[in-house]
Amino acid sequence: MAGLPRRIIKETQRLMAEPVPGISAVPDEQNARYFHVVVAGPEGSPFEGGVFKLELFLPEEYPMSAPKVRFMTKIYHPNIDKLGRICLDILKDKWSPALQIRTVLLSIQALLSAPNPDDPLANDVAELWKVNEAEAIRNAREWTRTYAMGNI
Amino acid sequence: MHCRSRILASKIDPHLTPSAGGHINCVRNHKERFCTKVWTKQEKKSTMSNNDNESDVEYSETEECGYDDYYNPCNDADNETMNQKKCDPEHFEFECLTVDQVDRLLNELVETLSSRLRLTPSLSKLLLHAHNWALDSVIRMYLEDSSQLLVQSKLKPEKPPVVKTLSKTLVCPICIMMLPKDVFCGIGCSHLFCKGCWNTYLETQVMHGVSTATECMGCSVMATEDFVLPLLATPQLKERYVRHAFSDYVRSHPELRFCPGPNCNIIIRAKENKSKRIVCNSCKTTFCFRCGSDYHAPTDCETIRHWLTKCADDSETANYISAHTKVCPKCQICIEKNGGCNHMQCYGCKHDFCWMCLGDWKTHGSEYYRCSRYEENPNVANESSHARAKEALKKYLHYFERWENHAKSLRLEEQTLQRIRERIQCKVMTGTDGTWIDWQCLLDAAALLARCRYTLQYTYPYAYYMDAGPRKELFEYQQAQLEAEIENLSWKVERAETTDRGDLGIQMDVCEKRRTTLLQDFLES
Ligand SMILES: [Zn+2]
Ligand SMILES: [Zn+2]
Ligand SMILES: [Zn+2]
Ligand SMILES: [Zn+2]
Ligand SMILES: [Zn+2]
Ligand SMILES: [Zn+2]
Ligand SMILES: [Zn+2]
Repeated sequence: MAGLPRRIIKETQRLMAEPVPGISAVPDEQNARYFHVVVAGPEGSPFEGGVFKLELFLPEEYPMSAPKVRFMTKIYHPNIDKLGRICLDILKDKWSPALQIRTVLLSIQALLSAPNPDDPLANDVAELWKVNEAEAIRNAREWTRTYAMGNI
Repeated sequence: MHCRSRILASKIDPHLTPSAGGHINCVRNHKERFCTKVWTKQEKKSTMSNNDNESDVEYSETEECGYDDYYNPCNDADNETMNQKKCDPEHFEFECLTVDQVDRLLNELVETLSSRLRLTPSLSKLLLHAHNWALDSVIRMYLEDSSQLLVQSKLKPEKPPVVKTLSKTLVCPICIMMLPKDVFCGIGCSHLFCKGCWNTYLETQVMHGVSTATECMGCSVMATEDFVLPLLATPQLKERYVRHAFSDYVRSHPELRFCPGPNCNIIIRAKENKSKRIVCNSCKTTFCFRCGSDYHAPTDCETIRHWLTKCADDSETANYISAHTKVCPKCQICIEKNGGCNHMQCYGCKHDFCWMCLGDWKTHGSEYYRCSRYEENPNVANESSHARAKEALKKYLHYFERWENHAKSLRLEEQTLQRIRERIQCKVMTGTDGTWIDWQCLLDAAALLARCRYTLQYTYPYAYYMDAGPRKELFEYQQAQLEAEIENLSWKVERAETTDRGDLGIQMDVCEKRRTTLLQDFLES
């Protein structure tokens, strides 16, 4: 733990003491900047019942630079591509050092509840989401069943 | 910028049948209506001196070839401004300014605002920047409701800052360190952070090219340069901040544009935001004032952008489709498509792949690839859409081939001009034929040819996107006429062996007239 900024220590302590409901974030035993994250699919969303694994890494410049976050579990979502990369403004240009790991995780959870096909990362998913939302939601459920259940 | 497709094997004869008759009439009309000062410096001077001695002096010092004269034919009188517009639909007022000149121009606005409203210059600067340097409207809005304007411009928090406790130490929310109160600062909102965190944050911003858009770490209130500069640790960082900020100011000023020429520091100023031609007086780059890309009349900015993107996107598709064969992505053997099925199996290595995207076929069932939509309905509708796509491609190729062909011709004619220069050099220096002035006309003709050819090239994207109808018919008629005259001129320029400018002069006139007619519609609408 030597050399780990106080900021990261404090955030980690708080994440462990008062976790965000529906999300667990556990630092790796070898690397305190690497977090194993598990997000439960929000109720009422096509991801409900699914358990999604993510990785979160705090780069050297954190908190001046945003954490790097990626879905490890396959997910059918217009703002998440097939490599698991997430299109979320606070992870890019809207990042501010006053934001925290907690805020990022909450935003990702919100993104699962409210996909935004107008700002797509996975173009074909976004297009289907716009022209035929019912079918897109069916696909998302199907993917959740296939990839995000019984995977942990 | 340019389409680099290799589909262009097919040739088009650039020679259109010249339109029968009408030339002489047309020229006469043209000469009556407009003045033509295409010829020599002497002729030009004598006409100029009729009206304005000052401009005479100015012009006689110009060492340009006769081109500028050609484009400035109607200085005769003020009451002819309408006529002047008709003469030259491309006429556009602009200045080429240096960084220092622009700096002064912006500073004057900043000083005016700051003295009128008693604001700091750095706040005034951001205020003007946020409102496209519209000094008068900023003053008006400020006098109406200063608080609302500052909040709207993100220069003041929505709620007044909360007064912090009187304790001697604070915890910085960024680094979570407890520190003495006097190392904390902020932008006038309720957020205070330690100087160390501000240093790192602002340095990160500057290194990412962010300057005028620098916000508070805790909210969206903007940081002025008075706040930022003292917190930047090195002169290099300060310099970088100032440079980026200057670029931002130029970009927010509606009358200013950076010259897009490589390593050129000139800034163009024009009163009207129009798709008109700018020629930088320093690096000679020619570009469209509105969008900054290569000058593209008669095509408008949006259309040319679509066209260039399309050319870039379609070059591969067009290659694939026109080729009828592709190379196996695994063993590089050449495969011909002889059926409707997009699932291909290489006869060499038995690799299964998709004809459309060359991706592995195995991934096509489970993954959401771009081309998965084709897999979804592999029936009759697919066939007809294929036919439609083929037709669309044919149309595109028609325009594209012509567009590219004229671009090629332009490059070839540049070589011709070089040969003409050498020929003239030889004739004049050996005293065999004429003087420099006698030959000037030929150089003018070559320059005019390039200009006409350039316009012709840019008529193709315009026509491609035009809806069918009488307007398009007229445009394509004018286009064909221009094309015919350009090829006539090209022929004559390549073969000019005497200083007799009569024939060449008429051809130049006709060409420019055709070009002007074609541009009129676009530039004056
Ligand atoms: Zn701090
Ligand atoms: Zn703030
Ligand atoms: Zn320039
Ligand atoms: Zn333009
Ligand atoms: Zn093969
Ligand atoms: Zn495919
Ligand atoms: Zn020709």
